[in-house]
Amino acid sequence: MLLDVQDLKTNFYTYEGVVKALDGISLKIKEGDTLGLVGETGCGKSVTSLSIIRLILPPGKIEEGKVIFNLGENSKSKGKYVDLLKQTEAFVREVRGDKISMIFQEPSSALNPVYTAGEQICESFLLHRKEELCQEAVEDIRKDVERSRFFYRNIYQIEKKFCQWMLRAPHSFWLKFLSSFPLIGKYKRRIKAEATKKTIQILKRMGIPNPEQVVHRYPHELSGGMQQRVVIAMALACNPKLLIADEPTSNLDVTIQAQILDLIREIKGKLGSSILFITHDLGVVAEMCNYVAVMYAGNICEIAPVKELFKNPLHPYTIALMKSLPEPGRKRLESIKGNVPNLINPPPGCRFHPRCSKAMEICSKEKPKTVKVGKEHFVACHIYT
Amino acid sequence: MIGFSSKIMLKSKKGEFKRRVQPRIKELKFSLSRIKKSPLSLIGLSLILLFASVALLAPIIAPPKYPYEPYRIPRSGYSATPQPPSYQHPFGTTQGQYDIYYGVIWGTRTAFRIGFMVVGSILVIGIILGSISGYYGGLVDEIIMRIVDTFMSIPTLVLAMALVTALGHNLDSVMKALIIVGWPSYARLIRGDILSVREETYVEAARAIGCSDLSIIFKHVLPNAIYPLLIMASLDVGAMVLTAAALSFLGLGAPIGYADWGQMISFARNWIVGPPSNPLAYWYTVVIPGLFILFFVLGWNLLGDAFRDILDPKIRRR
Amino acid sequence: MKMVNYIIRRLFLVIPVLFGVSIIIFIILSLFSPEQRAAAFITDIKQLRNLQGVIKTHHLNAPLYVQYFMWMKEVMSGNLGWSKTASKPVLQALFYFLPNTFELGLFSTPFIILVGIYLGGVSAVHRDKPIDHISRIIAIVGWSLPTFWLGLMLLMIFYGYFSGLLPPEALGTKASLVVKSSNFTRFTRINTIDALLNGRFSVFLDALRHLVLPVITLTVVQCAMVMRIMRSSMLEALGKGYITTARAKGADEKTVVKKHARKNAMIPVITVSGYIFAGLMNGVVITETIFARKGLGWWWARAAIQLDIPAVLGAVLFNGVLFVFTNLVVDLLYAYIDPRVRLG
Repeated sequence: MLLDVQDLKTNFYTYEGVVKALDGISLKIKEGDTLGLVGETGCGKSVTSLSIIRLILPPGKIEEGKVIFNLGENSKSKGKYVDLLKQTEAFVREVRGDKISMIFQEPSSALNPVYTAGEQICESFLLHRKEELCQEAVEDIRKDVERSRFFYRNIYQIEKKFCQWMLRAPHSFWLKFLSSFPLIGKYKRRIKAEATKKTIQILKRMGIPNPEQVVHRYPHELSGGMQQRVVIAMALACNPKLLIADEPTSNLDVTIQAQILDLIREIKGKLGSSILFITHDLGVVAEMCNYVAVMYAGNICEIAPVKELFKNPLHPYTIALMKSLPEPGRKRLESIKGNVPNLINPPPGCRFHPRCSKAMEICSKEKPKTVKVGKEHFVACHIYT
Repeated sequence: MIGFSSKIMLKSKKGEFKRRVQPRIKELKFSLSRIKKSPLSLIGLSLILLFASVALLAPIIAPPKYPYEPYRIPRSGYSATPQPPSYQHPFGTTQGQYDIYYGVIWGTRTAFRIGFMVVGSILVIGIILGSISGYYGGLVDEIIMRIVDTFMSIPTLVLAMALVTALGHNLDSVMKALIIVGWPSYARLIRGDILSVREETYVEAARAIGCSDLSIIFKHVLPNAIYPLLIMASLDVGAMVLTAAALSFLGLGAPIGYADWGQMISFARNWIVGPPSNPLAYWYTVVIPGLFILFFVLGWNLLGDAFRDILDPKIRRR
Repeated sequence: MKMVNYIIRRLFLVIPVLFGVSIIIFIILSLFSPEQRAAAFITDIKQLRNLQGVIKTHHLNAPLYVQYFMWMKEVMSGNLGWSKTASKPVLQALFYFLPNTFELGLFSTPFIILVGIYLGGVSAVHRDKPIDHISRIIAIVGWSLPTFWLGLMLLMIFYGYFSGLLPPEALGTKASLVVKSSNFTRFTRINTIDALLNGRFSVFLDALRHLVLPVITLTVVQCAMVMRIMRSSMLEALGKGYITTARAKGADEKTVVKKHARKNAMIPVITVSGYIFAGLMNGVVITETIFARKGLGWWWARAAIQLDIPAVLGAVLFNGVLFVFTNLVVDLLYAYIDPRVRLG
């Protein structure tokens, strides 16, 4: 089990009331899985993803729940499984970008306009792979020392000393202080050059032509598809175990969408990471995922393997969603009557009951528990309890 | 038949008006409630109301000695040395025995006069010129905008100084100079709003139905542009009073003995340091008029800031 | 190549504005009657008798456009008239009074920018916490202060009450004697720099002491404005998507604020810095008058009172030209920092 989310609850304390965005979300992702998280706009998909990596800022607050993550064999101190909600901020920061990465919906606003694409990808490496970069820089210096004349050797030795210092104590105050002087800080350029080399490598893997040029381009000089590839490169730089993709293709043209989805699939094959794919498009889910979770108004309605869900949807909301898809032979698209509820005052009991065609009396009183109805198929509906 | 349909039209017009106005009233009520809740805006409002009441009650709380020249500060003597606060002179006297109390009270009136007249005029001039410039575009727009650019490239005080020198050293020319210096920013603001609205499809649609240009400006552009203008205007009342005070301080504005805050502080220039035994002896000549200016401008700035926080749609419902 | 194109395009925009400035000056000039303007050309009492003759010689009765061309001809050749308050030709007087004002600006500008940007940033990051409220109150009060009153109050306290701790004028008596003596070479006529270049540390310290109060008076108002602009632009930057991306990458708050948010937030501040500079010139007039520093502002204030027309018009011209070139520099700086601008 890679990720085990248990009963996650998140609230937003706004001027107009408390928005109960997440009302007890439970998910499980195994290694190598791709879990699709489907739902309408406003049902809480993005909030879920941000809650998993603890990026909820005030006025939001993660109230309760557990996010148990598998750090892997060579994790340093904490053992294999940790509850991310109970760790220190510094610990979670190390996990973010390194073990769990996120890619966003709007690539042009996800990239900082005043830094080049290369610089932003380098940042991922500089944050999490410092030792590797320092060691490679030291190797590089050794080669330079052998090749060069006597005078330069001393300069290189000084640079090497700084790189080794950075290896040993990257957060030392004196190191930072001295590095801010122009001449001494030159060693940082070497480290950055190493990071740039890695950046070019990963851009090549993304299938971007001319990565050496793209590295020096600013985001506004790149097309939408390229920007999204840069964002994906940023996320995959450190080989994360879990990639959270928050509607990565919703804002792109259909052809580019296909390319990006192909890319994600390819990368997943090569790196073996698991993906939490958030989307509102069931078609994409069918193509990319092997498990699906359907979400409505802060609750998970149904989780099942993809084929099972399409063949045998059980929750009324899922059934209604399937019916609203266009299909050859279907003459009318059916919509779900009613509106998405206001999460400040959500309906009591099951949050879907005002719009549910099969609502019973108990639905307005008690929140349904999740029950297992098949092999890996779970539903939260009173019909099946 | 025609009468019947016109009756229906009239009824629907009334209902339509109500329907159109309803959400605006709701927003207005929300704005008012926000004003009530923000402490800074309340402070600003109360300061302004305080000064307004002082200005209105001036003839009562500081009866003029020269009935046809109420702005002439009474002097009790001709000695140069300022006298500290006493029973006859609650705030003391400044150089030349001008009563400070009288001066600051009637100075409040002067300040309101300057503020309202200048800002009122630049609002009107700015809106007119900016609307013309933005709506008709082309050469007219270019010319007006170059004029605006040129005016905005010279610092306000320097330009005002030059104008006042040309027009004569009195308060009226100060006001005229401030008007000339002040309108460009408003013109530019309105022009920007008109430009952004002009390209909207609903303006094309309105024009296609046959709405006149003037009605488009009044119905669509101005209601949206009002808020930033309001903010700028309330901030400018304070700024204009400050600049006018600076000009009077330099001796370019109100004549000596006129009830104007800046003018009174210019007296204090010679008295900032008293005798070695009591260097702060003449503090009242400097501190009191200055505090009046400070709180007056502060009130308007707080109000303008509060408007900005309340009316900016992005921050409104945080 | 793109940068060069941008520079050339910007330079072209300079010309119409300078032209406009000259027109404004000329319009102000023509508000004066011919007799008043003749006074500018009179340097000798005997000429008064021949007032009409003076008017004729200088074509002060000719139609306006003729006068404009003649005036422009004079201005282009460097003759801006004679300033009676300075007893010098206007152009010379501009260069004579410039060093003192430059010194004031030199010490004020970094202060305004650094303090304003830092406090604005801190205020935005710690929004609605006590430090934010305190900064905002300081900013609003600072912006409402009349500059001349602040200067007088500071003098009253630090010169009067603390008997001579921070005095007005540019130099104390001892230091000015040193400066005027033959041992002292004036390279730039800026007191602080000259003192350093001459190795006279005591003069340097004395000049600094005399700079403290004027600099404070000058910077408070501008600092307040920079703080407010920085705060609002920083708040806007912090709400953008790339901040979430940076946090999701695992960057710590300090890096997020310093590296990502601040650079973007500074862009509107730089845009506005041209106007901040203009505000500085406003403050300079008053500050130099109060502290009796003989710089440009001091000269212009006296010129306005004494109806020294060429000097006053010279002030407008100087400021217009200065503003135009300052904005040019600001635009170039802006293009350097924000890569999006270079293309458009």
